[in-house]
Amino acid sequence: MIHLTIDGKKLEVEEGTTILQAAEKADIHIPTLCFHPLLEPYASCRVCIVEVEHQGKKELLTSCNTLVREGMVVETASERVLRARKLNVEMLLARAPAAEPVKKIAQELGIEKPRFEIKDPQEKCILCGLCVRACEEVVGANAISFINRGQEREVAPPFGEPSEACIGCTACAFFCPTGAITYEDLYGRQVIHEELNLGPATAIRVPIRQAVPMVPFIDEDACIHFKTGNCQLCVKVCEKEAINHDMKEEEIEIEVGSIILASGFKPFDARRIPAYGYGRFPNVITALEFERLVNASGPTGGKILLANGQEPKAVGIIHCVGSRDENYNEYCSRVCCMYSLKFAHLIREKTEADIYDFYIDMRCFGKGYEEFYHRLLHEGTKFIRGRVSEITDIPLTPEEEGKLIIRVEDTLVGTVRRIPVDMVILATGLEPSLDHNEIAHIFNISCSQDTFFLERHPKLAPVSTFSDGIFLAGTCQSPKDIPDTVAQAGAAASEALALADKGTFELEPITAEIDEKLCAGCQICVSLCPFNAITYNKEKHISEVNDALCKGCGTCVSACPSGAAQQKHFRDLQIMAEIEGLFID
Amino acid sequence: MEEKTTPTRYRLHLMVCAGTACVSNRSFEIKEALEKELKKQGLENEVLVVTTGCNGFCERGPLLVVQPGNIFYQQLTVKDIPYLVEEHFLKGRPVQKLMYTPPEEKKPIPVLNDIDFFKKQVLIALRNRGLIDPEKIEDYIARDGYRALVKALTQMTPEEIIEEIKKSGLRGRGGAGFPTGLKWEFVRLASPANGGLKYLVCNGDEGDPGAFMDRSILEADPHSVIEGMVIGAKAIGAQQGYVYIRNEYPLALKRLTLALEQAREYGLLGKDILGTGFDFDIKVARGAGAFVCGEETALLASIEGRLGEPRPRPPYPAQRGLYGQPTCINNVETWANVPVIINRGAEWFSKIGTKTSKGTKVFSLVGKINNTGLVEVPMGITLREIIFEIGGGIPGGKEFKAVQTGGPSGGCIPKEKLDLPIDYESLTEAGSMMGSGGMVVMDEDTCMVDVAKYFLSFTQDESCGKCTPCREGTKAMLDILERITKGEGTEEDLQLLEDLAVSIKETALCGLGKTAPNPVLTTLRYFRDEYLTHIRDKKCPAHVCRDLNVYTIDEKICLEVGHGCDVCRRNCASEAIIGEKNQPHRIIQEKCIKCGVCYDVCKFGAVKVD
Amino acid sequence: MPKLTIEELEKLRERAKKATFLRETTDYRAKITVHMGTCGIAAGAREIMNAFLQELQARDITDVLLTNSGCAGLCSREPMATIEIKGQAPVKYVDLTPEKVKQIFEKHVLGGEIVQDYALGIGSEKTDY
Repeated sequence: MIHLTIDGKKLEVEEGTTILQAAEKADIHIPTLCFHPLLEPYASCRVCIVEVEHQGKKELLTSCNTLVREGMVVETASERVLRARKLNVEMLLARAPAAEPVKKIAQELGIEKPRFEIKDPQEKCILCGLCVRACEEVVGANAISFINRGQEREVAPPFGEPSEACIGCTACAFFCPTGAITYEDLYGRQVIHEELNLGPATAIRVPIRQAVPMVPFIDEDACIHFKTGNCQLCVKVCEKEAINHDMKEEEIEIEVGSIILASGFKPFDARRIPAYGYGRFPNVITALEFERLVNASGPTGGKILLANGQEPKAVGIIHCVGSRDENYNEYCSRVCCMYSLKFAHLIREKTEADIYDFYIDMRCFGKGYEEFYHRLLHEGTKFIRGRVSEITDIPLTPEEEGKLIIRVEDTLVGTVRRIPVDMVILATGLEPSLDHNEIAHIFNISCSQDTFFLERHPKLAPVSTFSDGIFLAGTCQSPKDIPDTVAQAGAAASEALALADKGTFELEPITAEIDEKLCAGCQICVSLCPFNAITYNKEKHISEVNDALCKGCGTCVSACPSGAAQQKHFRDLQIMAEIEGLFID
Repeated sequence: MEEKTTPTRYRLHLMVCAGTACVSNRSFEIKEALEKELKKQGLENEVLVVTTGCNGFCERGPLLVVQPGNIFYQQLTVKDIPYLVEEHFLKGRPVQKLMYTPPEEKKPIPVLNDIDFFKKQVLIALRNRGLIDPEKIEDYIARDGYRALVKALTQMTPEEIIEEIKKSGLRGRGGAGFPTGLKWEFVRLASPANGGLKYLVCNGDEGDPGAFMDRSILEADPHSVIEGMVIGAKAIGAQQGYVYIRNEYPLALKRLTLALEQAREYGLLGKDILGTGFDFDIKVARGAGAFVCGEETALLASIEGRLGEPRPRPPYPAQRGLYGQPTCINNVETWANVPVIINRGAEWFSKIGTKTSKGTKVFSLVGKINNTGLVEVPMGITLREIIFEIGGGIPGGKEFKAVQTGGPSGGCIPKEKLDLPIDYESLTEAGSMMGSGGMVVMDEDTCMVDVAKYFLSFTQDESCGKCTPCREGTKAMLDILERITKGEGTEEDLQLLEDLAVSIKETALCGLGKTAPNPVLTTLRYFRDEYLTHIRDKKCPAHVCRDLNVYTIDEKICLEVGHGCDVCRRNCASEAIIGEKNQPHRIIQEKCIKCGVCYDVCKFGAVKVD
Repeated sequence: MPKLTIEELEKLRERAKKATFLRETTDYRAKITVHMGTCGIAAGAREIMNAFLQELQARDITDVLLTNSGCAGLCSREPMATIEIKGQAPVKYVDLTPEKVKQIFEKHVLGGEIVQDYALGIGSEKTDY
């Protein structure tokens, strides 16, 4: 253990600690710029200097990389330190006047305007080297480095060309303290709402806020370690040592008796309607994005703000985006009218904006829904019945300058209107989830014309499928809101439980059976059975019918080339005998 | 390497100086002319022509020394050669008009050792100066070369070698003056990481403008460095060495590379040196135009192929250096001293010099001095002796003003301190430093503010840019100096200049930054009034800062003496002079761009500058 | 060139010293000056010089300085050479031939005995070396 004094406080720290770390332990703040706890100290900004007295010498040293020694006496803000620190920060302020961290420290030190030449008032880069060091130490890609000398020093890839070594991990932007390094996606689109970090997620993240268990997972495709073998910063900082990059995926086989499919939905991709400008205009957002915006734990803390951080003065909400539309989905997505009304109500609560609702029909079918709609009518929301044709930013009059103009046919009034707003919310409809087709294939489930899973009977068996033991719940079967989903889920659960609970099972007698002696194992019947009732037995080299699943449709019987598959009570001889019986007279 | 080493019938050796300066002054042509002429006279078997490294008296090149007898010929041209060959080498009558005659004297001084420039020098690092052909290893061996190597490898333990170097008091000749023996001991005691090797490095980056000590040693006597490195390697336990030479020294690179090859062929370098079982080899690494790579950690980064920028120390290279292993870095001149110390003993060496600074130092004496060249003098000699005795004083009878030592890291020493004995401590106390050995002499026509500006613009240009104080601070200081030399400076500027200088000195990351403010600080210390004259009176006393010069024509002189000759008006590029022939001329100040041409062309002294 | 052993290095050193001894300032035991003014050369002083050189080489002698100088003055008795043993007065030899050189070298330079028959005089101008 080393004993030293910092600003009069006596401290005892372990050998190998830097002065900066020791000061942190004692709650003494030393400003830094080029330091980052996850990278090796660089000691280039010279802002963290302190006055150290040791063995008769008194000198200014950088605290980020100087190790403590027994008996050191350190002053972090003596006159000598402040003089030198002030000058260094003043010079950095002249170099990068737009760098927020420098401005902050300059303010703390009482520096107003630098006495030195300012070459570029927009400059943010303070040449701290964090990006270069991250790319070298953490990522191991070495795609960027410092070039040129002295005043010409800057960060660049080799020869100024996009580097092949860059893996696009954006670690450089992550470590940059001033925002001098930014990233944009491959299509050149800016990250919408700069304050919102809607850019690429970190490779190690909790998948969703409602995840159970609430633990992070590692996305192998984004993880730097799997690309370069380096990084593993997560391992370094995890105190419980709970991270293991070498874990492999396991496939687990579980035998079950019944299955409930609840694979959910995906929102309609608003990019498919170019006329609405989603992706082009930063202030055209989808319903889900608005939900996030307005959420108290969201990026703006629940404030409704435009991309430039200002409050909107007028908002337009467009219903039926991707729904009730010949060009996209003909069905009604059922939930959008109600959530659009909810949005209108929230906007009214939180802002002074004018709200326009563009609808075809108002579908307020549930308990309390119609009453809520009436409330909104009284709140002053303007409802315009008509399909929005386009959203444009090209103004025709001075009032339309800088606004998004919604062109719509107001069918009740009978004219085409141009409504200038600041923000547009697209009430995107619901579609089956991305892996819908894959699931349908695995479980041999049919889909209805609207591409959602097909129930056995729309009125009498809404949670069952044509395969016994496989049930449906939620929006994978059709768009519905939360009360309906909960109800359906309960129904599916009880059906599944009932099946498991029964113990015995009443079968139809007219199931198919396969004669072991005649079956050649060609497996034609296996692929034909619509109920997945036949499986191939590898050891015996024959196909076998599962009586519980077989519905007696007879398809396998007619297809079997060897006549091994026969339907009970419908054998050829029996049918022939019945026909004969008809002719006896 | 087919030269016979058996005695020949030569009776004369002509030592032709072939250091870079004389080579660029055509000394190779002199050599060819000599050989041609000797053949013509049938003397080619009696008279041998040898090219050596730098002789030192660069002011007077091309040079030739005739042995035996040490007869010194200077400022030779190809036209002189036939006469010289016939008169001296054939007929035995040395040619007086080609010998050195001191200024203001009539009689020439034939023998080299009688000339003031050479008399007071004590040659240790330059012990083979003018006496060997650097491209022949046998010449080096003849003069006790590689004898110290044998002694060190067969009769001394590594600890004994280190003890000897420590006792001798040898200090690093690169500028910092760190005790060499102590550094070797640190490296010896350090352990390499992961079973790696220890390294030995020779710093031949020599970036100070005007300094050419290391270049001369490498060009004239590369084996002295090689031998020193092998001895050092034995002492610290290294098996691989590097010589880092700046790329701007092609002749040094060529001669060193050749010397390394020759040493390897003879088994003096490489595996199992001289059968002693000791392995050590040397690679050559080239610089690429960065002064900052003379700083040891930047140099190591450069060898490793990384960006040439320094890193904070500790850890020092002795603990973690090249490739993270213990490394001993020493300057060229330091290595050249090592064989002599081993041969002649630490006691002999420590008798030369002062109490704290032992041995000799090589200086490049340049600037406003009669005898420009390379000198090696014992520590403790005074500045006055070097400048006025060895250097021959200031040309043109001008007044001495100051001498700058230590290059851009050093400082200016004024007249009052001329009797300062040269050693590490006394120079540092005076505000300057020993540095690598550059010595620039200045006279009354030098502007000290301009000198500070010159050195600062050098360091500012060479700053690697890693740390804030050096990158931004030197630029800020330079901007202030520019303003001052343009007459736009204020007294606040002076205060800011000093504040910046102190701050940069205290907080810069490496030696370049830490010492960059030195020229400014010393000129402020000793010549503050010059700064104030620039600021308050907007005048440059030495008339160097052009923007502050005011040119006027003394009409009386112009008319009465010059008769209005009109030469100035005709030469004025900005048409700022009006006047007619036989009429007094006048300068229109608003148009004058202060180029000074009129001052130069007026033969009558009618143009005055203030 | 093969790699050296320590002994071979020392031998090489000796040989190299012999090749470059002229460059060292040593205490010469004796000094031979061959007079090579225009008259001397015309009279054959170059052969005399060669003869002395051969003697020096054949006997591997390095402590005798051989040099030339301008005309000694007595042009009619050229070629001439002056032999000066350290500590003794210089002796001028005249009318030299290569054969006489051989004898003078053996008797005077090596043996210290003046060859009276070929000598002109003893104790002319002293040289300082």
